[in-house]
Amino acid sequence: MPDLVVGLDLLDREILDVDGKPVGKVDDVEVSDPERGPPEIVALLMGPTAYGRRLGGRIGRWIEASGAKLAETDEPIRIPMTSVAQIDVSIRLSVPLKSIERATRLEDWLRERFVGRIPGAHRASE
Amino acid sequence: MKKVLTLALGVMTAIGGFMDIGDLVTDALIGARFGLSMVWVTVVAVIGITAYSEMAGRVAAATNRTVFDLVRERMGAGIALCNVLASYTVTALTLVAELCGVALAFELATNVHYLLWVPLVAFLTFLVVWRMPYEHMERLYGVLGLALFVFVAAVWHFGPDWGQLFHDVTHPLIPRGEGRPTYWFYAIAMLGAQMTPYEVFFFSSGVVEHHWSRDNLTEIRANTLVGYPVGGVLAVAIQVVAYLILQPQGIEVKQLSQTVLPVVLAFGQAGLAFAIVGIVAATFGSALETLLSSGYIVAHHFGWRWGKFESPVGATRFATLLIVTLLGAAAFALTTIDPIRITIYAVYLGAATLPFTYIPILVIANDRQYLGDLANGRLANVLGVVYLLVVTVAALAALPLLISTKGGL
Repeated sequence: MPDLVVGLDLLDREILDVDGKPVGKVDDVEVSDPERGPPEIVALLMGPTAYGRRLGGRIGRWIEASGAKLAETDEPIRIPMTSVAQIDVSIRLSVPLKSIERATRLEDWLRERFVGRIPGAHRASE
Repeated sequence: MKKVLTLALGVMTAIGGFMDIGDLVTDALIGARFGLSMVWVTVVAVIGITAYSEMAGRVAAATNRTVFDLVRERMGAGIALCNVLASYTVTALTLVAELCGVALAFELATNVHYLLWVPLVAFLTFLVVWRMPYEHMERLYGVLGLALFVFVAAVWHFGPDWGQLFHDVTHPLIPRGEGRPTYWFYAIAMLGAQMTPYEVFFFSSGVVEHHWSRDNLTEIRANTLVGYPVGGVLAVAIQVVAYLILQPQGIEVKQLSQTVLPVVLAFGQAGLAFAIVGIVAATFGSALETLLSSGYIVAHHFGWRWGKFESPVGATRFATLLIVTLLGAAAFALTTIDPIRITIYAVYLGAATLPFTYIPILVIANDRQYLGDLANGRLANVLGVVYLLVVTVAALAALPLLISTKGGL
């Protein structure tokens, strides 16, 4: 992989799955343990816990805490770098959205409990 | 023929975005109170919104990315989040004003108090967003919005002294009895009403939703170059008729019914009917645009699935946000706050947030790694920098002027 500037080329960039479906944004990155050789980026992190942690401050902590409560874990959504196919204007994954653990949890919950129950929600308006 | 139809997006964004409740109110108010001394602001605004929409459209076509997506990438999550909160608040506040605007137009047509219409208007907005195809939506409101040309016709009907009008426009004077701060307060309100930030979000999202790419650059340019000037002509016409008819009578515009008064004088009931159709189309179109835009702002920041082409179950966070925003806006409208005041504040605060929207667009539009040969040329950059200065000065002056004039009273 070519040299990347984490702040410019990775953080806050849009992630698309193998079919071009939006997955989310790179809220943070996971770096390997520096004691075992030079640090490397091993995963992209997503979700309110990662977002809030990076934001910091009172608002960041609040986002992190409410995200952890909703997700019932304080672990962020993790996409290993081995699933990344291409880094360009957007980050393209080599796997479908469905295969990423917990990535669609809130969407699914809202579909079952709320949006899916409103008439007409199932057809695209095209 | 197809080329003509693709102009519908531009015309709708112009009629529904440029021409919305903010303009209908501020143009008439300013025409009646300040004559033609602020037509220059409209000219300034049209050139600025055209330049930045073209830039945002070009960026969206080249990268498939929208404004708030790029705002976050270029400004970092922290500043971008503040920007999202400010822009969402202003856009949602504008939605409140637009919902009231449609309801006020219904009141004009039926004499039933506007508050009774607000729930129905909110429901209709929901139905269209939920069900109606995007292209039908833009064509319908684009075409019906053209009824507002009745204001242009009214200018001719009154047969003004064109030489005198032209002189008033080119030699702006602050009318006697008006303070300088008040004049500038309304100049910023007008700038905000005509360069409303949501127009740029909506246009750039529209380009992505249409799957337009670099091949569609001609359409994108034609849309901005035709759409906004059309809106500008309408805005000036409303100022002129207000100046000709309302100012001599000493009428201060506090209601939508006063905006249409000159048209009624010119063409009677038929004129009123045209004006109401145009106002409903413009404000209803804007209600849809502001509602969708408030969803876009948040969804593009967090990278949610979004869009009008996506079925609601395919983008449930986006759909939920739209419903919550619409319900909140309708509830706020029903608190009986003065819709005209809300409109003035919404456009005024909108002007104050403009620099934060424009800086990242200008930066990205110059990024050759992203845009390649579609990056900004010299003209776009000169206009971009000049307008960034204009909106920054306006934004910095906004708060002191708001306080010192007590909201332009």
